[in-house]
Amino acid sequence: MLKSFVTILFRDMYIVINTTSRVFMPIVYLLLIITFFSISLEGTTFGGYKNILPQIIWLACLLVSLLNMDSLFKEDYEDGTLDGIVINSEILEISLLAKIVAHWMFTIIPLVIIAFSANLLLTGNLDISIILLISLIVGTLTLSLIGSIAASLTLSLKGNGLLLSTIVLPLDIPILIFGTSAIYNASIGVSYNSEILLLMSLLILFLIIAPFAASLGVRSSLD
Amino acid sequence: MTANLITLENITLIKQDKEIIKEYSLHINQKQKINIYGDNGSGKTSLLKIIAGITQPTEGRIYYDPSFDMNKDIFYIGHKYGLKNELTVYQNLEYVLNFSRGNNLAAIESGLEEYSMKKYINTHVRYLSHGQKKIISFIQLALISNKLWLLDEPFTGLDKAKINLLLAKMDRHVSDMGSIIITSHNMKDNFDNIKLC
Repeated sequence: MLKSFVTILFRDMYIVINTTSRVFMPIVYLLLIITFFSISLEGTTFGGYKNILPQIIWLACLLVSLLNMDSLFKEDYEDGTLDGIVINSEILEISLLAKIVAHWMFTIIPLVIIAFSANLLLTGNLDISIILLISLIVGTLTLSLIGSIAASLTLSLKGNGLLLSTIVLPLDIPILIFGTSAIYNASIGVSYNSEILLLMSLLILFLIIAPFAASLGVRSSLD
Repeated sequence: MTANLITLENITLIKQDKEIIKEYSLHINQKQKINIYGDNGSGKTSLLKIIAGITQPTEGRIYYDPSFDMNKDIFYIGHKYGLKNELTVYQNLEYVLNFSRGNNLAAIESGLEEYSMKKYINTHVRYLSHGQKKIISFIQLALISNKLWLLDEPFTGLDKAKINLLLAKMDRHVSDMGSIIITSHNMKDNFDNIKLC
């Protein structure tokens, strides 16, 4: 069981190493959004754009993380390796969880690190940047788990990106609210523990639900 | 005596209001080589996917021998070769070996050697031709210990020498108590030929 998890994790890591555009494209998009927002908001908002920059970065991370979500299972579906995973997995849910974790570790985490660094460089506020980092680490894993459900359901459809975004956006809103609220609370000196704990509880909830829902989605798409 | 591995009983498959397979029954025994043949669209691939457990039949039952483990004992190669274009030949084969709980790492090299493909060991699969990809997908068979091979049109796109090599592999697998089901468009010698209408 653990061997299947590790095998898929390593395979997807090698795929990312061999196709670096997968990592760099979202990072480039994120940096473009941050740059354009910084230019357009400079001098227009009260107290400067730096007060709202962490929230903008959070939103940008959410949108950019959606970019690759439709390919989570799609490539395995198209080259036939998903058939092998479904047939030969001892527990399909564990194998799919490995794919979700691999996607998060190798495509989203670099994005989160860049987001943290950009915020620290532009605002110079380490405390807020650390809250941004923590809320993004917890939040983006939850977003990946939610995205996996939609990705599995839209697997057999051509041009599934639009439908996937429509399915996940309502579910992503609570994550965005808690993530940005934690940063806002930290910026005005109020406790942000409850928001982080709520983010963590949503993570645990989707960690339990998503692999089962995704396995049902994958099976029905292959059927 | 050869044991019965899988029994299909009155399998019917309906997709998008179209009856693809109608009340089909089949016994799959140990040491058996079955060739399911028929015209395009006769449901050969769908039947293989039902046996593999990927597709659920609309009606009918499938019985598996208690000693038969669906996850460990079936190896399926479909039209899509099940290879990752972004990985090298070695990385692809290593993945199959690890995922299918095989233990024979040296078999990767000897398998490639046998099909004269060793020079491609570190080549990315996306640079290989369709025929070469197909051969790599069959080298996977040498690495695994699954009892039942399900091969969808295995001989299409292969030259005569490779076909003979594959047939010899199949004979060896059957003599090691394995079973094979292939699909094709016509009857094959030394196979139990079953027509699908």
